[in-house]
Amino acid sequence: MKFLNSILIFSTFLFLTFTSCKKEDDQPKQGEVTIEFDHVWGSAEGEFSLNKELTHPMLGEKMTFTLFKYYVSNVRLKAKDGSWYTMPESYFIVDADASGSNKVVVPNVPGGEYTDVEMMFGVDSLRNASGAQTGALDPAKGMFWSWNSGYIMVKAEGTAPTSTDGTFAFHLGGFKGENKVQTVKSYNFGTTALVVDGEREAEIHMLANPARLWHGAEKLAVKSKNHMPNALAKSMTTNFYDVVRFDHIHN
Amino acid sequence: MISHKIRFLFLFALIWSYSCQDDQDKSDFGLTYPDYFPAPHYQFGKNKLTREGFELGRALFFDPILSIDSTISCESCHAQGHAFADHNTALSTGIAGLSGTRNSPALFNLAWQPIFMWDGGINHIEVMPLAPITNEVEMGQDMEGAIKKLNNHPTYSKRFRSIFGEKPIDSQQLFYALAQYMSMLVSYNSKYDQYRQGKSTLTADEDDGLQIFRAKCASCHTEPLFTDYSLRNNGLEILNDDLGYGRITLETSDNHKFKVPSLRNIALTYPYMHDGRFRTLDQVLDHYDSGIVQYTNLDPLLIQNGQLGIPLSQEDKLKLKAFLHTLSDFTFTSNPLYSE
Ligand code: HEC
Ligand code: HEC
Repeated sequence: MKFLNSILIFSTFLFLTFTSCKKEDDQPKQGEVTIEFDHVWGSAEGEFSLNKELTHPMLGEKMTFTLFKYYVSNVRLKAKDGSWYTMPESYFIVDADASGSNKVVVPNVPGGEYTDVEMMFGVDSLRNASGAQTGALDPAKGMFWSWNSGYIMVKAEGTAPTSTDGTFAFHLGGFKGENKVQTVKSYNFGTTALVVDGEREAEIHMLANPARLWHGAEKLAVKSKNHMPNALAKSMTTNFYDVVRFDHIHN
Repeated sequence: MISHKIRFLFLFALIWSYSCQDDQDKSDFGLTYPDYFPAPHYQFGKNKLTREGFELGRALFFDPILSIDSTISCESCHAQGHAFADHNTALSTGIAGLSGTRNSPALFNLAWQPIFMWDGGINHIEVMPLAPITNEVEMGQDMEGAIKKLNNHPTYSKRFRSIFGEKPIDSQQLFYALAQYMSMLVSYNSKYDQYRQGKSTLTADEDDGLQIFRAKCASCHTEPLFTDYSLRNNGLEILNDDLGYGRITLETSDNHKFKVPSLRNIALTYPYMHDGRFRTLDQVLDHYDSGIVQYTNLDPLLIQNGQLGIPLSQEDKLKLKAFLHTLSDFTFTSNPLYSE
């Protein structure tokens, strides 16, 4: 009896202590949603990869990317009933290297069916001016300008034989005024909804086309570098963001 | 037997619930400043100011570990005896004897400063150290390398953990610690302050100088911080292609504008202006009196009724200079709290 009693007390305490600092999170069916960005080259959607010589369809110039990264943030998912799930602290660097960092993982999504995804390309103004950040926003990631505070929202570097010094480097960003580049986009999944039930994989596949950065831009022979927020950064990023598209769902 | 167990459980529960709480206020360590100062711009936010955090920031400020070859610390270019400006050199020397194009500003009252650098390009005190650490002619150290060195350092890794918790050091922790140290550099004990606080009187010349100052300089170098933090062109001859604020905004109407510097401790921080072109206050006063160059972006305050500059008689200059010397704060430059 005495022994039973103490077990009882022990387990009550255990229960109390373990629940005392947790929020209500007993939604049984929550799961993870992965947004995968696949990169294609040109409107023909040819293969894109780093360290591979490509010919730009409009410029007609050869270029080999050594780096291609951009920020995606503020991811939200729209449920069938019209409500939104907004991911807290939602900041990602999508990296076109083959390491799998082209995936944006949204954890703890409440179970249900989703019809749309919304995301911001770039980083919201607030975080550009809020001091030291961590995670994907850590300036040690090399995506923050030291001399002109703000995130480099798209970074494309590589080599190009036509460029005067044989290389290209476009560091594009800007979070205020008319050259503000960050943009919110949303995508509808069409007829099939994305099911989140904690068991099935829930993947959203997106297609992004880095060639679009130079849509209507000058040849690399003329302009192969940009390192600041300006009108060029604005037009290059706008052209790139505009054609990022939803491809399919994998459920 | 039971009571023993219960006692143990109580202890366990107590420890558990304690661990869920936010850290308690560990000290009453904080910013102090006189009542005629406005509220500070930097409110620390998530960066919780503690004595330990401040001391860690201080150690880092004095430590060359943040430069690529461990030769240059923040203090190399920002020395306490000069109100944290450089040692009276126009252009500072960074790693490998390299030097940049601008004069090292004095560092104090930074918690009131909304923008940083001569061109105002940096928008937050916490991200300020990123520039000198990574600049090729200053400390030349990439952030990943700097963070790695700190993580591999036995005492630093311990000190960071005791302040920021059991996780690897990242740039946020480094910037938080440095921001704590920099924000605490408050200068408010000059003769001028003593006078404002009724603890001292000004001589007749100093007092006249203050009146001249209020009439002719204070619209930009506004009391009590002696700057309004705006970006302006004060009519310096254009000697190089440093566009100042124009480099940041890309507006030609902002070209050659620079942040109005505070004039506190001004007698200690020569040479003057963004490129350190003037060695003496006499040269500065001569500039305002007769050296102003007409330029499209010249501040309208410096050309009034068709007259260029701020007319100052010989006597005005002497009195102004006497007043400017009352802005030196020797309590600040010798405060042991700020030195290693
Ligand atoms: C090689 C010399 C050098 C070193 C080392 C150096 N600085 Fe500076 N610092 C400068 C110069 C020069 C400027 C002005 C730069 C500009 O305006 O472009 C400056 C500007 C600043 C400012 C802005 C002040 C204002 O009024 O806007 C702060 C704050 C600062 N430095 C802090 C630091 C810290 C913290 C470190 C160490 C991590 C450091 N500095 C290392 C030379 C240096
Ligand atoms: C129109 C605004 C304005 C007025 C009025 C003005 N200044 Fe300045 N002052 C500035 C600016 C801007 C700078 C920095 C310029 C630069 O470095 O390019 C400056 C720089 C200085 C400096 C150099 C500070 C340093 O740390 O290098 C001194 C000293 C100075 N001013 C004194 C005065 C005095 C004395 C008066 C009155 C006779 C005065 N100023 C009037 C805007 C002004």
